[in-house]
Parts: sequence; structure tokens; C-alpha cells
Amino acid sequence: MHVLRHDGQGLDEAKLVEDTSRLADPTKRYSSNKIESDVVCKFPNGDGNDQPKSAVPCQLPLRAVPKPTINRDVKAWDITEKFTQASLALNTGQLVKDEYFTLFESIGALEIMDPKMDSGFLQPGETLEDDYDALKPLLPEEVIGIMDQLLCYEMAWHQGYPLSQTLFTSVYIDKLLWPDPRSLEEAQFYRGDVKLATEAMHDILRAYCLAIIKCCDFVITKITSRDYFEEEDFCTHTYNRQLLTQVPLDFILHELELAMKFIETDQTSPISAELKYALLARLEFRRALLIALFPDYSASFLDKYWPPVSDTLPRIEATHKFGRPVPGSFSTKLQRRLASTVPPRPVVELEFKDAFEKLVQLCVDCEEAVRYTYLEPSPQEYQSFIWAFASRKPQPLAYARSYLSNFIFSSNNEVFEHLLREDLRSLVFPEDQVLDPVNWTIESPRNPMMPKDKRLQMASLIDEFTNRAIQNYHELWTALCQNRCRMRRMLCHSMLAFDQLQSDAGVLDDDLHALSSDIQQYPLITWVYHHKLRQIEWVVQLGFEQEIYLPDELPSMYYWLSKIAETRKRLLMTLLEFFERRQSKMEKGKKAEIEKAERVKEGKGYIESLLAEASGTKELAEALSSFYTHLAYLKLLPTPPRPFSNPSLRYELRMKPFLTLTPSEVFPFAELTAQLHPYGPYDNPNPKPNLSRILSDSVIWQYMDHAVKSAKEDFAKLKKLGAKAARAEGVKGSWEKGVQGCLLSCVAAGVAIATVKEICKGLGKEGVGGVEGMKKRLRVEIVEAGGDRVGKRYHEWWVVPKVVKL
Amino acid sequence: MSNSDAQSSTSDLRYVQYHGSKESTYLPAIRQLISKDLSEPYSIYVYRYFLYQWGHLCYMALDPSGNLIGVVVCKLEHHRSGTFRGYIAMLAVQEAHRGKGIATQLVCMAIDAMAERDADEIVLETEVTNTASLKLYERLGFLRSKRLHRYYLNGNTAFRLVLYLKAGTGMKRPQQLDDSGELPAQYGYSATSFDEIGVRDGHPVLEGSQVP
Repeated sequence: MHVLRHDGQGLDEAKLVEDTSRLADPTKRYSSNKIESDVVCKFPNGDGNDQPKSAVPCQLPLRAVPKPTINRDVKAWDITEKFTQASLALNTGQLVKDEYFTLFESIGALEIMDPKMDSGFLQPGETLEDDYDALKPLLPEEVIGIMDQLLCYEMAWHQGYPLSQTLFTSVYIDKLLWPDPRSLEEAQFYRGDVKLATEAMHDILRAYCLAIIKCCDFVITKITSRDYFEEEDFCTHTYNRQLLTQVPLDFILHELELAMKFIETDQTSPISAELKYALLARLEFRRALLIALFPDYSASFLDKYWPPVSDTLPRIEATHKFGRPVPGSFSTKLQRRLASTVPPRPVVELEFKDAFEKLVQLCVDCEEAVRYTYLEPSPQEYQSFIWAFASRKPQPLAYARSYLSNFIFSSNNEVFEHLLREDLRSLVFPEDQVLDPVNWTIESPRNPMMPKDKRLQMASLIDEFTNRAIQNYHELWTALCQNRCRMRRMLCHSMLAFDQLQSDAGVLDDDLHALSSDIQQYPLITWVYHHKLRQIEWVVQLGFEQEIYLPDELPSMYYWLSKIAETRKRLLMTLLEFFERRQSKMEKGKKAEIEKAERVKEGKGYIESLLAEASGTKELAEALSSFYTHLAYLKLLPTPPRPFSNPSLRYELRMKPFLTLTPSEVFPFAELTAQLHPYGPYDNPNPKPNLSRILSDSVIWQYMDHAVKSAKEDFAKLKKLGAKAARAEGVKGSWEKGVQGCLLSCVAAGVAIATVKEICKGLGKEGVGGVEGMKKRLRVEIVEAGGDRVGKRYHEWWVVPKVVKL
Repeated sequence: MSNSDAQSSTSDLRYVQYHGSKESTYLPAIRQLISKDLSEPYSIYVYRYFLYQWGHLCYMALDPSGNLIGVVVCKLEHHRSGTFRGYIAMLAVQEAHRGKGIATQLVCMAIDAMAERDADEIVLETEVTNTASLKLYERLGFLRSKRLHRYYLNGNTAFRLVLYLKAGTGMKRPQQLDDSGELPAQYGYSATSFDEIGVRDGHPVLEGSQVP
């Protein structure tokens, strides 16, 4: 341990022991799985569920705890005397720091007797334990109230708050889980060997609580089985409590059914019909939810799991008013009993209305996720679905995302290899001999001196590429399944991985060319490059969505986007030519060839769709870049003074993720400056020709108008080609909405440009004033992104300014 | 950077560099000022961790009676990304004195001090909803580099803000490991910001703590 002098407080031996045990624990607490852009990604799969067995047993003060297990290999010395002596040599505040004392450890330290840090610290008159009696009789209204409060906490937990601040504040849940019950029978509101008679209301509440606990267990199982970020997406920490992990689902269902049966058949108790109805609704809901969350689902009934849950929800909502809260049955003090060093922290309060909304969303999102399993098995259809799912608003909860991920990634590697080959087929190998299944059936010649069959060689090359690319490909899909912030950052990594892959693919392409002249030029490089360019675009566009760029950065960021989209457009044009050549060649062939030609034609639709999208992106980005540039000259873009920075440093920072790409995509700063400053510096434009005269001339606005018009045509073409060509038929509605959003962005951009153009016409004329006066005549509003809600932008990726005449 | 309005209303403030010998005078006030806005306080060792090693990067605004009105706490060390990275860990100004440019003045002094010591870049995190803080840093030249989902303990999302001070910073790469597989001694710590070790309560700049 580090010898650290405590502030004016003597440390007795007991406290010292306590202190070290606490120090051991924070390492757990802060070992969250944050990944930054400059480190290799690691996923916390299966990590963080419980405390590691090796953790120092944590004895919280002043409470009865089971005897700690004593490790016989550990020897104990009383260091009180030595420690006191040693610390006397230090002044208060004097720090003896060795080089291994890190920020990490400083964070882990707690101060005894600080009410915010010392969980055992009691305010005058405060009791350590909660004294709520879990066996006191409950009214049915109170049971309903408790059930609904538990639901609120459950949903708060789903949103990412820890169990300690949500469900684990319930005295009833605590009673069921601690001491760790050896059987379901032992999990009672009373604890101990003596079996007590319980009231019917207790039995009903107990069944509900058991089911909640089991739901949590299933949720944790599902989430930890997929890539997620602890504490960011979700808190899986159970503070050393077993969430009935060993109890089979049927046992819990049985408890629920007994409770339901009791309510249904009960003639003796004076519970009103509406209260019975309310209680039944909650038990039925729990039953349906438990079944839906069960990790070992049956694939053939997948569409039957979530609708029954949703069906029970209106009844819960309608009967919530009958509930009577029992606030005493929840207490933050219970946190003291959890294996944690964190002092009691406030309960996360979520209103029933909000919790219920989250619950509805969870059911709807999961039901939607199931549709993934019914999609046409094509990588593009799958990815369209994943994008649409990730773009849902509000953002799907961690559980729903894991639920979908489970369908995506539960399949074995072969499925992903198949998807990768299909991806290759649709982009660069249309009806191509390279991917002919026959190639994989040919055996190597017995005599190794004999040349191998060309087809076999092709298959080997593709296998080699698949082996090399599969991990990158898999990671790209993983990135698309993360929360939106993570998605953007992980795409930065994925993009670099594809960059590396691109240079590796060259050798294989050369080998393929040696085997056949009738293939797309550099097919593998082309495929990788297209994926890479698309990821660059996504990184930038998600940047617009996440409001990473300040208003005065919009000219350069849209310029950058337009350049990347333009490169991709050119790439797609060569692909389109190739598809066309192949189609017309096959059309001239025999019957089987003509059939193939038909399929090439169909595949061409996909390339055309990509091309329309890339082209539209290029044009609209170009228009916006130019428009924002002119707004900068008109002093209509807020520009911070930035005394510590300069444009070239900021450009370097913005381009950092892309600086190492090969071929180099980032253009020199001078080029950008020239491009974005056609009339000299914004605050000091060239005197000749006069800026007012330039801006009043409609010619310069025509360029933007033209780009907007082209963008609109491209997006209209994309729309016309339709969801099927775009391979987004499974999410037709949201795909169409997206395209419509792009179209409307074009319209809005056109209107904004026209408004500014109109006002600029009079520049320099009498009564209008010069460029300086534009602030009085026009106001430019940068439309905010929607965040977790449906926003005001037509499309989150297109920041079209709203121009208001004053 | 100076602001004439702020100067006139805060001209009676003194801006002082922290020093270890002043711990008993100032540390309690620093702790109090910073922890006021934190849901969970830092232990005294967190403050000492910074002040012991980078006391020269801590600046305080004091009123004529020596009361602490504002403080900024930073560090500067080699980051595993290969840059010499400054980090603004804490910044706080007493509520009654916000909006007068005190925080800006403190941050400027800290940036100057880090730049003088050859920092490549300066980074920090702040809540996406903390417009005052965002404005303060963005006025000085910081850009948002990424959004950090549910970064803070209260569930709020953060922006990472970055300021490059030197050309070539974006091209710096992780240092090569030596034969033993370890970084050379001068690249002491691997986790260097609150973010990297998962602490989420780092930057309590609240509403109004910026130049009006």
C-alpha cells in the first residue's frame, strides 16, 4: 500500500484494514471498458458480471457479515505501530509518491469519515440499516404501487444506471436475494430456517419480484454475450448477488401461474374486480416478458415472443392509477449491503410515464429486430436493416441492440464468409467465373509438379482474401451495431483496417489478373476501396449528426465530404461500365449466358443506386460547402476568435483520422484554403474585384444552384431506382424516408441559397449597404440535430441552414 | 487573452500559480470549490495527484482577502498516442463570480503554461449540454473531436475537446517499444486522462462561467 498521510485524522488499525479493502475494489469499479480511437479495440465480452473471486473480501463496517474466508497462505502483521511512527515523520499534506501511484489509484482512494465517501458514516440520528418490515401486511393497491415502482427502476436500469441505484433499492428484492438463497424455496421475504406463513399479497408480490430478478438475469446474459461497453451502454454489475441464475425458467413461470390462479379463483378476499384485473395484468406481463427474454429462444417461433408482451401493456397503463406507492419499501441504505465501495448514491427516479414509454419502445424495438431473421439473405439487405435499426429514434436500448446483434452474429464464421463473398459478387464479380461454385469442387492434382487448374487457383485466391478480410468485415458490422457515438469512433478504426486491407489486396489482384483477363480491373482493391470510402463518408456524416463540427467548419467539412463522395462516384462509374460491358457480352451468348445477362442487369441496379447516392452526396455537399463559404464572407457564420489556434492546426486535427490513408485522400492545406477562400480572407477580402460586386452578381450563385439541382436529380433517381435496387427492401419505409430527407434537404438548400442571392442582388446599391450590413438584413440559423428525438433537420446528415430575412 | 469588461469588474482579483508549499492554505478551498458541483467527491489524493506533480499548471483566482474565487487544475505528460498531451482536469469558479471571464483567464494561463512547456495538444471533456463551458473553450480554439455516450455518472453525454498547439501533432504515433517490450521511462503512465480510466465526473464547469 502507499503510505499516505491522512488529513489530521489518526488511522487506527481497523480503519487501515478497511481502507485497503476498499482500495482493492475501486479498481473494479473504474475498470470500465472505455476504448479510445488510438487504441486497439477490445471487447468486454463476458466481463464484469460479478466481482472477481480474487477480490479482497470487502467488509463494510458495523454490520453482521458472514465470516470472511481466510486464505491460509496469507500472513497478517500488525503494522499500526510502524505506520504511526512513519507517518509522524510527515507533515500534513506532505506527499510521498512513488512512480506507481497513478491517477487510477488516487481515484480509488476513499476518505474515512467523509460523509460522501465513507459508506458507513452516519449523520446524527441516522440508522445504518433500513427498518422496513417486509412482512407487514400489504393492500392490493400497495402491491400494484410497488410493482409499478419496480418497473420504473427496471427501466432506469435498462437505460444504463446500475442496479444499486435502481432495483436493488427495493427491500423486497433484497430479501429474496440475500443471503444467497440455495433454492427458490429459500427466496422469501422472511429469511431464516423457520418457515413463516405469508399472506396472499406477499405471495403475489414475491412471484412478481422473482420474475423481475429472472428477467434481469436474462438481460445480463444477452447483453454480455455481445459487444457492449460496460457503464456506457449498460451496467451488468450485480454486486455479488446471484440473480436466480441457477433457477430454471419453468420454476419462475410456475410461481407466476400460482399467483395468477390464486387471484382468478379467489372468492374469499374482498379484493375488487378492478384490482384483481390490475394485478393479473402485471403478472401476465411479467410472464410474457420472461418468456420473450429467455435466451434459448426457438427460431421458428421468433415472431411470437414480443407481441404478447406488447398486448399486456395497455392494461398496465390503464390500471396504474389504482396503485398506491410504498416509498418505505425502497431505500438507498441497502446499497451498504452490496459488495461495492461506493457510498450510497441517490436512487435514479424515472417517472412511470417515461418508464412505460421506454418499455413500449423496448418491446417495439425487439419485435422489429426479429424481422432481421426474415430478410432476404444478402449482406446489403442486412446492412440496410442494421442502419435503419441504429437510426431509430429514440435510439434502441442496449438490450434491443444486443437482441439484434444476437441474430447477426450468432451464426458461425461460415455464414459471414458467405456474406463476404456475396458482397464481393454484388460489387465486383457479377456472374463471374472467379466466384463460380465449381471452382471450390476441383481437386489439386496428385502430382504436385503438375500445374493446378485455374479455377482451383481462383478459389484459393478468394479463400486467401476471405481469410485476410473476414475479421475486418466482421468488425465493420460490429461497429454498425454500437451506440451512435461508438459507431462513429469504431468506424474510424474500421476505415484504417480497410486501408491496410487495401494494400494487401493488390497482390491477390495481380494473381487474379494473371489467371483471367475477363474480370474487373483490380477487383479486390476496388471492393475494399469502395467500402473504405463509404466509411469515411459515414464518419463525416455522423459528425454532422453528432454536432461535432462548429458552424464555421461546415465549408471545409462539406468540401471534404464532397471530395470523398466524388472519388467514390468515379469508382462506381468504372464498375458500372464493367457491368454494362459484361451484360452486353453475355446477351450475345448462348441461352445460359443470356440468363446470366439478366442477373447482371439486376445487379447493375445496385451499382446504379450506389452511384446515384454517391453523386447526390457529392453535389449537395459541394453546394453546401460553397454556400457556407459565401455565408462566411457575408459574416453570417459565427466564428470564434480562437487566440490559441490557427486554421492549419485545426485542419490537421480534423484530418487526423484520415492522415495515414493510402492512397492519400487528404489534400494539402493550401489547396483547401484556396478552394474555400476564392475572394481572399473572409475578414479581409481582396479589394479587387469588390466583394459586394461579386456577391451581387447572380453568376456565382448559379454554381450552387446547379449543384443543388444535380443533387436533387441524383436523389430523385435514387428514389426511382427504389428500395429493391438499393437492397433495402426489408426496411423500405425508413429507406424511402431517408431518401426523401435528402430530397427535402436539397429543396431547403435551394430556398436558402435563393433567399441570400435575392438580398445580395442589391449589395453596394443605395440603401442596401455593403457586406458589413448583411447581419441586419439576414439571419442564418444552423438547424440543430435531433439527438435522441426526431429533429428539425430533414436529414440528420445534412446541415442545411435556415435563412431568415430580417 | 483579455477582456476589457471582465478586467474592469474583476481587476481586484489576483491570479496566482499554485505551489505545494501553499497546500494547507489553498487545498481545502480548492476541494470545496470543485466538489461543490460534483455528485461524488474526489478523495484528497486525486487533488494531490495533480497538484503534487503539476502544481505549476494550477492557477487560482483570489480576491483581495485571499479567498479562492476560481481554480484550474491540469496535467501534462506523454500520452500513449505519441503526443505530449495537456489535460484540463478541473475548472471551477464560484457561482457569484461567474460570467466575468475568470474561467477564461484561468484557462488561458494554463494553456500558456502548457504551451511554454512544449505541449503538442490540450484535451478535456465536458457535457454536451454545458453550453457555457463549450463556448468558453471553443472561443479559445478548441474543437470537438468526439462524442462520448453516457460519459458521466449522471448518464450525461460528453464532448471531447481538443486544441492542437503544434503542427505535426496529428501525425504523431505511439512510441516504439524498446527491446524489453516496455515504453521508455519518460513515457510513464498509460492511462492519462479521467476518461481513460473511466472516471466520469471530471469537468465541473457550469452555466455562466464564461465571458459574457
